[in-house]
Amino acid sequence: MKSFYSRVMSYLVVDHPSPALKQLPLVVAFVIALVILAVVPEVTVTNIGLVITGVAVLVGATILAASLSFSAKYERWSILVPIIDFVAIGLFRAGTGSSVSVFGAMVILPVIWVAGEKGRGYVVLAAIGSFIAVMLPFVFGVSPLETGSDVARGIFAPIVYLFAAAIINELTRQSRVQVDSINALAQEKEKMLQRTFEYASQLEESEVRYRATDRLLRSVWGAVTVQSVIGTDTTGLIDAWNQGASRMLGLTPDQTQGKRYVLDFHLQEELEQRARELNYPPGETVLNPGFSALVENARLGEVESRDWTYVSTDGTQIPVSLTVTRRVDEDGEIVGYLFVATDVTKEREVSRLKDEFVGLISHELRTPLSSILGYLELMKDDEEHPLSEEQEQFLAVAERNAHRLLRLVGDLLFTAQVESGKFPLDLKDVELDQIVAATVESARPVATAAGITMVEEILADGLVTVGDPLRLGQVCDNLISNAIKFTPRGGTVTVSLSKSDSDAVITVRDTGMGIAASELDQLFSRFFRATTATRNAVPGVGLGLTISKAIVTAHHGELGVRSEEGVGTQFSVTLPLTGAGVSAGATTVTRARPSASPPPSVWYPSI
Amino acid sequence: MSARVVIADDDADIRGLVTIAARKAGLDVLASVSDGDAALEAIRDRLPDLAILDVAMPGLTGVEICRIVRADVTLASVRILLVSASADEASVRAGLESGAADYLSKPFSPRDLTARLSAQFPEGSE
Repeated sequence: MKSFYSRVMSYLVVDHPSPALKQLPLVVAFVIALVILAVVPEVTVTNIGLVITGVAVLVGATILAASLSFSAKYERWSILVPIIDFVAIGLFRAGTGSSVSVFGAMVILPVIWVAGEKGRGYVVLAAIGSFIAVMLPFVFGVSPLETGSDVARGIFAPIVYLFAAAIINELTRQSRVQVDSINALAQEKEKMLQRTFEYASQLEESEVRYRATDRLLRSVWGAVTVQSVIGTDTTGLIDAWNQGASRMLGLTPDQTQGKRYVLDFHLQEELEQRARELNYPPGETVLNPGFSALVENARLGEVESRDWTYVSTDGTQIPVSLTVTRRVDEDGEIVGYLFVATDVTKEREVSRLKDEFVGLISHELRTPLSSILGYLELMKDDEEHPLSEEQEQFLAVAERNAHRLLRLVGDLLFTAQVESGKFPLDLKDVELDQIVAATVESARPVATAAGITMVEEILADGLVTVGDPLRLGQVCDNLISNAIKFTPRGGTVTVSLSKSDSDAVITVRDTGMGIAASELDQLFSRFFRATTATRNAVPGVGLGLTISKAIVTAHHGELGVRSEEGVGTQFSVTLPLTGAGVSAGATTVTRARPSASPPPSVWYPSI
Repeated sequence: MSARVVIADDDADIRGLVTIAARKAGLDVLASVSDGDAALEAIRDRLPDLAILDVAMPGLTGVEICRIVRADVTLASVRILLVSASADEASVRAGLESGAADYLSKPFSPRDLTARLSAQFPEGSE
């Protein structure tokens, strides 16, 4: 229905009428003219042939107009219709009395049509058309062109029509301009409307996304029930408090948000200790040293995890691993901090049990080994019953293996201590050249027996570090005995001590079988054995390097390795020299501070 | 007169080893017991010149006995040698701080123990 309606309307629309619609007034005028001819006796037909021809031409023009109305493709041909109309009017006028015909006024209709077309040329065309219509009776010789008035009419009427056409043409041009500008405005409005719709839909999408994010955030926030998550502003005033925090610390969000400071739940001594470690100058700009100490690294944009103690409302102390991060606004300015804490009570307990277990195992394994070794020795020392040479050999084997077991127990115990994060270090000033010289000397008999040349290079004298001499000796022993084990007869093991900036560097270099590059990463893992070791049946369990690395790390040093298969391997131990690394700062706070009288023993909380 | 010794260790084999080493050094083994309480009782009853005590024993530990003995003036003449399976310096120090005269780590050489005891208690000095 609607399409039919719009189709009908398209024929009738005033700003773009179809040729048929434009033709309609003339058709009506012709019908009226014919009625007048029939009923008014004074109006007569002077030449019936011309009247019929005129009506026929009009019918033809009307058919043409109608057919052009259905096809926009041929629209430009529609100008033919008024031209033909001029001929039809001319013929009709000639057949109804020529210059005395009462129907000459009909000429105005095609004149309006032609003049209304776009372009000045149509004004002239309208005038020519009207001239044809006026002059046609004379062309057909219906009435001879005799009088001056006929000639005057033939010139005057077209001139008047020319003026009328010019006025119509100009008026339609103006209205066309107006219509165009109205159309342009309408289009602009349409575009704006379109844009508004787009914005609206974008806004809607954003809102959907925002809601989804909000829901996700809420569900994540709600899902964290074990870890305590506390948000604060830049002064430490709490503005977010999750379920985990409620469980851990015994207060609800309403009791804390906007009312309590995060410091209220910390152990004061720990904060003071940390502030001292960070060397905050007393009375400086730091308003609250405790809070500043807590967020120091987060403020600098680092993600820091550190062990702290939370204190709940009932005074219970909870050991936590706390990660502090900063919260920033869209400009990157810090607006607060986020404190995510995990209760590590259980981990601490497990660690304690592990220590107990290690102690027990150590005791339980060492005691029978003591008996084995002790009684073997008694047997060898028994002067009343001397052993045969063969028996001596057998006992030597048993003794050697008992010692091997004992070393393994020692290594396992030490590894367990390393794993549990603490092993004893007896710190004192250590002269590294002495350590190197002693270990080289003790390894020399084994090297000689294996046909290997030991070279000792002391390239810098008087290098002193703070460390445990026994443990550092153990590292050198491990590296040198490894080098000897992995170097074939005729090779060389070079041990050197040198200085690099503020570090001492001990290198142990061999000309042995080397280690595959793909295995270098795993070299320091517990129980790892290189394929060159297993392939060549070099004895060992894969603990030596793990232990060495742990010892070096505990001394704030580094253990590095370079190797090429078939060429040799070089291990480097880098240790900070006394006096180096004492400067205060976030990166050095966990370093041991060398002092005039170092504590005899230090338990490292972590390595 | 040879020096008299009380030996305490929960491990019978270690007790045997210490006993042999002590005898080789010419010491008179008064008692060889397997727990801390019996050790303290033997020390109080027999008033030995030396007590060789295991650190980890059922009942009182060697270190605890050491503290009790050192706090008792009537036992001032008793010297104590602690034997322990833990070799780290912290436990050695704890042992010595409790008042022990000497400290021995397992495993130990019976030969060395004999030598040490002989040096401390030359025959007929007591």
